[in-house]
Amino acid sequence: MLTGKKLFQTVVFSEILQGLRLTFKHMLRGKVITQQYPREKPKLPDGWRGAIVHLRYDDGTEKCVGCALCEAACPSHCITVISAERPDLPQKRIAETYILDMTKCVFCGFCVQACPVNALAASKEYELATGDKRKLVMTKESMLTLGDRYFPVREKRPVYSGERINLFEGLKAAGFPHAEKGHG
Amino acid sequence: MDIAIQIGVVLFQIVLVLGGVLTHVAYLTYAERKVLSDMQDRLGPMEVGPHGLLQPLADGLKLFFKEDIIPSGANKIIFSAAPILVLVPALIGFAVVPFGRDSLQIGSIEITPYIADLNIGVLYILAFASIGAYGILLGGWASNSKYALLGGLRSAAQCISYELPLGLALVGPILLAESLSLKTMTEAQGGGFWHWFIIVQPVAFVIYMICAIAETNRLPFDLPEAESELVAGFFTEYSGMRFSLFFLAEYGNMILVSCIAVVAFLGGWQAPFSFLEFIPPIIWFLAKIYFLLFFYIWLRATVPRLRFDQLMTFCWKVMLPLALVNALVTSIVKYIVT
Repeated sequence: MLTGKKLFQTVVFSEILQGLRLTFKHMLRGKVITQQYPREKPKLPDGWRGAIVHLRYDDGTEKCVGCALCEAACPSHCITVISAERPDLPQKRIAETYILDMTKCVFCGFCVQACPVNALAASKEYELATGDKRKLVMTKESMLTLGDRYFPVREKRPVYSGERINLFEGLKAAGFPHAEKGHG
Repeated sequence: MDIAIQIGVVLFQIVLVLGGVLTHVAYLTYAERKVLSDMQDRLGPMEVGPHGLLQPLADGLKLFFKEDIIPSGANKIIFSAAPILVLVPALIGFAVVPFGRDSLQIGSIEITPYIADLNIGVLYILAFASIGAYGILLGGWASNSKYALLGGLRSAAQCISYELPLGLALVGPILLAESLSLKTMTEAQGGGFWHWFIIVQPVAFVIYMICAIAETNRLPFDLPEAESELVAGFFTEYSGMRFSLFFLAEYGNMILVSCIAVVAFLGGWQAPFSFLEFIPPIIWFLAKIYFLLFFYIWLRATVPRLRFDQLMTFCWKVMLPLALVNALVTSIVKYIVT
């Protein structure tokens, strides 16, 4: 049964009036929560996971050692690494071919976590729309270029102490040890 | 020669009113989008022209150049006739609306602020408004689509139901003004806002506003075009120019019902105080209409859509008895007083 107050509220549409007051307040407030996107770019938070890029050391050499741990970590199998020995330093390896298929990438960032030398990083590149899908298949060169753009501050290349260099030179002179096949 | 001049004057008035109304329709869509976006903390159209001011033009051009599609299985004649059947009644009502007080005198030619002063003005508008329901129903039926048909049927049921309390709500002002002519009605409300019929007929005004919203298929009564269930209602299958005719009619109807509300309840072009009469009457008329149109948009931003049975129950169990009682009480009081 309608009580007196309830009846009065129904007659004067009190609930609708409340709603009208709310919308009017929002109109007068004049605050805008949307962005005029192509003209006004959003401010991305740190830790934004955009396109994956390769990084360099401060002397310009690439960090990647071609270990292919990123390939193993990738849940969508978008990374292909073909590792090879460096021609000048046969004991060190680099990625001869590094392909990251951005059309498959899910931007999970697992490859960045998996990398033992921090050679990979997630940039803030998010406008990946293109008319040509082939542009989204990133090679090491294009990833390095993107990395140069987004990460201008580079890490110092680690310098080995004299003791280690001596050990290394000694090993080099004696011939590097290598595992013999068939000997457990 | 005399007749030729008269016809010329009338044609000039028609062009003036039609141009004015269509411009208002175009910018009403813009105003609606802007007000809605403001209430929803957005910006609304900003791209075409400064603050999106040319958006209606761009929309019109786009609709004009769109392909005109007639669905297979549609009844071609009725399908083409329906938009016209909807648009014409929406525009023809403006013929009797008095927009201002003074006639414009150029030599011997007198240009009145209304096209015609029919002595059955209100009846004329209501009669034509009913024809608009035919256009919606036929448009929905002729499209050969289930959504359009359902939308059309809903719209017909809604329009017919809400026309009764709408007409009955206007009985109050008609009784008070002792005339069906919109011009006489306006003149009966002269001399300050306490003479306006909204003061003695507040119930009728509220009933009229609610029914007018239902008549024009606007939120919260926009069931004929409920997107979530009917795609777009009766104009689902329409595209291009035909669609824009429906669109024009909807917004034209909004302006028309606001015009009638202003004339019947808010004193037409009368100023609220006599010392404010230096402002031209047409400005007062437009200001009142703009307020009502803003109220429409405001309401749209606020309330959600009703369910169909709620809509019908509200009409037949609340609005109609109230309107009847209001008409009865008004007649009795009027009879005793005079």
